[in-house]
Amino acid sequence: MSGAGQQGQVPAKQVEAAGQEHASAHGGHDTQTAPYERVFKRERLARLDQLFTKYPTKQACLLPALWMVQEARGWISEPAIGEVAEVLDLTPAYVKGVVTFYTMYHTHPVGRHFIQVCTTSPCNICGAEDVVKALLVATGCGELGATSPDGRFTVIEVECLGACGFVTPVLIDDDFIESVTPENVPGILQRYQ
Amino acid sequence: MGYPHPSHPKENPVLSKHFGDPEARSFDGWVKRGGYEGLRKVLRMSPEAVIEEIKTSGLRGRGGAGFPTGLKWSLMPKPDGRPHYLVCNADESEPGTFKDREIMRWTPHQLLEGCAIAAYAIQAERCYIYIRGEFTDPFQIMQQAVEEATAKGALGDNLLGSGKRIEVILHRGAGAYICGEETAMLNSIEGKRGNPRIKPPYPAQAGLFGMPTTINNVETLAAVPHIVIRGGEWYKGLSLSNPKSTGTKLISVCGHIQRPGNYEVTMGTPMKELIYDMCGGMRPGRTLKAVIPGGSSVPIMSAAEADECLLDYEGVVAKGSMLGSAGMIVMDDSTDMVYQIWRLARFYAHESCAQCTQCREGTAWSTRILERILAGKGKQEHFQLLLDLSDNMTGKTICVLSDSCAAPIVSGIQKFRHEFEAYIQGARVPAMAAV
Amino acid sequence: MMADELVNVTIDGLPVSVPKGTTIIEAAKMAGILVPHYCYHPSLSSPAVCRMCLVEVEKAPKLMPACVTQVAEGQVVNVDNEKAKKAREGVLELLLINHPLDCPICDQAGECELQNYVFQEGRAGTRYTEYPKRYSPVEDFGPDVLYVPNRCILCTRCVRFMEEVAEEPVLNVSERGDRAYIGIAAEQLLDHPWSGNVVDLCPVGSLISKDFLHKARAWDLDKTASVCPGCTQGCNITIDTRDDVVVRLRPRPNLEVNRHFMCDYGRMNYRWMNRGDRIEAPLIREGTRHMATDWDTALDRMGQLLRGISGPAAILATGRASTESLGLVRRMLSRLSVTAVVQVPTGEEAPLAGVPNLALRAERAANLAGAELLGYQADWEEGLRALPAAGLVIVLDADLSQSEQAMIAAAPASVVVMSTILPEGLRNAELVLPITTMAEENGTYVNRDHRIQRYNQAKSQPGMARPAWWIAGEVIAGPGPSPSAPATAAEAFELLGEGWPIFSGISYADMGYTGLVLGESSDARRERQPADLGAQ
Repeated sequence: MSGAGQQGQVPAKQVEAAGQEHASAHGGHDTQTAPYERVFKRERLARLDQLFTKYPTKQACLLPALWMVQEARGWISEPAIGEVAEVLDLTPAYVKGVVTFYTMYHTHPVGRHFIQVCTTSPCNICGAEDVVKALLVATGCGELGATSPDGRFTVIEVECLGACGFVTPVLIDDDFIESVTPENVPGILQRYQ
Repeated sequence: MGYPHPSHPKENPVLSKHFGDPEARSFDGWVKRGGYEGLRKVLRMSPEAVIEEIKTSGLRGRGGAGFPTGLKWSLMPKPDGRPHYLVCNADESEPGTFKDREIMRWTPHQLLEGCAIAAYAIQAERCYIYIRGEFTDPFQIMQQAVEEATAKGALGDNLLGSGKRIEVILHRGAGAYICGEETAMLNSIEGKRGNPRIKPPYPAQAGLFGMPTTINNVETLAAVPHIVIRGGEWYKGLSLSNPKSTGTKLISVCGHIQRPGNYEVTMGTPMKELIYDMCGGMRPGRTLKAVIPGGSSVPIMSAAEADECLLDYEGVVAKGSMLGSAGMIVMDDSTDMVYQIWRLARFYAHESCAQCTQCREGTAWSTRILERILAGKGKQEHFQLLLDLSDNMTGKTICVLSDSCAAPIVSGIQKFRHEFEAYIQGARVPAMAAV
Repeated sequence: MMADELVNVTIDGLPVSVPKGTTIIEAAKMAGILVPHYCYHPSLSSPAVCRMCLVEVEKAPKLMPACVTQVAEGQVVNVDNEKAKKAREGVLELLLINHPLDCPICDQAGECELQNYVFQEGRAGTRYTEYPKRYSPVEDFGPDVLYVPNRCILCTRCVRFMEEVAEEPVLNVSERGDRAYIGIAAEQLLDHPWSGNVVDLCPVGSLISKDFLHKARAWDLDKTASVCPGCTQGCNITIDTRDDVVVRLRPRPNLEVNRHFMCDYGRMNYRWMNRGDRIEAPLIREGTRHMATDWDTALDRMGQLLRGISGPAAILATGRASTESLGLVRRMLSRLSVTAVVQVPTGEEAPLAGVPNLALRAERAANLAGAELLGYQADWEEGLRALPAAGLVIVLDADLSQSEQAMIAAAPASVVVMSTILPEGLRNAELVLPITTMAEENGTYVNRDHRIQRYNQAKSQPGMARPAWWIAGEVIAGPGPSPSAPATAAEAFELLGEGWPIFSGISYADMGYTGLVLGESSDARRERQPADLGAQ
């Protein structure tokens, strides 16, 4: 199949291997074997209540609520989708339809550090693909979407990151790093254990 | 200015004057630089008067459509009890465009002041700023700025003691280019999939949560305080060519250029002055091959067309393309045009929301055909097929994403056919493996 | 609605005047022109996503989607011209590129809107020859619905039905671009009591019924307009038969009753129509045995029985009997004092939230209202209590329990069974007369809103079975040639007006295919039918 649509998707076998043990950089996430622990308790529940005052409908709090889940757990699991649906008076199917539309929400566990490299044309003509290759080698991931054997990194290509004058921009977790080159890749990765 | 480069004398830094100056980020720093004077002035005017001033200025939407801003504001209905909303489009995802990010991370208060003035003019009490999910730093900077401005009374319940109420809420996107389309953005804020809506109804009639809404781009709103302070006539006067294109425009220059960055030029500035004088021209030993002036969703211009092009809405149209968001991608003779057209098609295929048949299937099929060509399996029939698909994808869908996919393909075949032929006839080594 | 402003438009050269606010697609329907479409449906919202209905509106810069564009005075619309046809050809080509060549194994073949429009105006061959088609395995949405993602054209009718009409959003569109598909929440089943409608709504063979899977080809089916015998709602249906066997029930549009929908209970409840263990011939009791005989003999015997009865009679009737049958059987006993009861099994009500006044009703008796208008009571116990004192008991196809059969058998009365199946415990019945099911006859039902609706014969009568109204009519007319006995259900119906004025002055022609409300004047009827405009 063509490249269109392959970004961000992790081959099933990798999910199985990577899923169980790894905590994301965002601090602890539910494994697929432990019972589900609710996200919206105490402080986060208070934040959610605050959110309700900012929008006239609960439904409008969906994207912010999903961000809160991903911040807490590193990814958005099926039980989490159920919990979000419950607190917002939506159905799980509805929430899932929204989650799968937006590419920044992870629906499966990823490496501790999630690396997004822009390879759209402005960056592409300035060597972005070489940056991708360098990252795949330096992280040990080997292929796009795969998590490195030590569970540290996942690398994907993304579309235009809006920093075309600062090629090549790379997003690692929440850090927006400009002017990445194959040469400075190893140094940058050092900061992410 | 072309941050990180110093301002070029041929630039006209109005919005970008303080790019690169960290002190401009804070509320006090901004006030020191003349900030919030516009808002103060506006609070003593009627909303109608503010709209008139913007109309006089000739300001047009800087997100890509170029719709006259004053006119857009005046399309809001008279208040009838229903809440009005202002939405600021900070989703900046058009390939080649990176100006809104700079405005937000260097001069967040410039944007907030613009939002407050606009909200006042359209009689909205709530403004949602939709910031794309990947803009993590700008989001934090804007958040801090909102908190500061609210604490200092420039936003919130009693704007600068006027009794007026304007609240700014930041809404974070989650990775979808299509949410930059104004009605898709409304759906996204409402907690839905980012599908564009059919129009009519227009947002001014039934927009966010079904209420009268105006959506403006970051750059558009950032210009508003300057127009209020210095006058619509002043802004109107900033026009070197066509009087319908006024003010300054931030051109995001990127690609094969010596000094990429944002350059603020007066409307009507010749493109070659920008490329060669302000940006330092081509890399050593290279010649200009193509320019995509408006972000990638516009026809590709040849070097000859770029050479004679004036940078305003009408000027670029006269040369067969569009100013759009002014995300100017410069390509020199080292560029594989077919490969880049493929990469753009792949972008659109990835971003399609999946509503309209032509876009959903057409962008993907076009991508596959281009892959075949790049893999050395191209055929003569592929030309007609690509053009047929592009025709199907133009003017037949709810939004213009599919039209945007067609633009580089059609103009690419038109102006760089020999590059396609080279792959098809085997004169060029395949750029990728066949699938 | 009466004082609606009319707008004049021309569609493909045909002038038509329609109320202001009508969409071009509905205006075209009124002019007799079908604008090809997929995502549009008169009972759902119009998202205008399939782009199939793009038409040329003169003076408009772009092709306009007919499903959401309202008519304007003087508008000239071209549906069938070069531009619009080319646009449709483009949509069809794109829908086919990932669509599998499943026609030989796809249930939808023969009633598939993709097939139809492609044959009508699609390209003759494909240009998508060098690439693999998108592939996903079949999913079981359960209990009856299978989802075949490869065939899906993403019209989203199913998603919108569940969200807007069933008001239970259990389906979604997942992912984006050409990776999109219809999703269901994990561990969720499509078990809403009205969810079977998504199979009808699906224009292609993407959502299919497990019950109908590989059962019959659409072109082998005979289709008959009928009414659902499941409950008192009276949804209009189509009975699909193949070689005289009922294989499927589908809803038939009636904007006043069920719009375009029927519930799963009614939909799946057709197997009884195919039962083979039917009474084959009229049976007369001779001693301890039943002897098969001809109708003349049986009817004569019935007449004798009636003349010899003193004392009251009891009729135990099924709630599925037609108005004609219930009425004429009652008239047959007009000389006697009668306790007439109708059987009303009950079940749980299941409303279709998004449509006013539409539900699977608790009363699972299609003609309860008709029976009551004819003097039958829903009090079954009352009927059983009347047994010991009765001289004659007529069992009109009631579904009797063992103990009820025992009670009837033990009663001193003469028992006449007018049924489809012979109850085991009534082997001492004087007379057993085989009758037709509602699938094998013409007739009417009156629904809970007093709408009388016609149903038509969908399969042939087995053996020597006849409609109950025919039997009663012949008995009433007496022995010998009887020109006064009704020969058709329509004639039988017209006789009812004499005894029950509510039925007088109406004919089958008046009822048409969507029925009429008893007791409503024709003026009131006209006023109440705004939504009929554009209905099929």
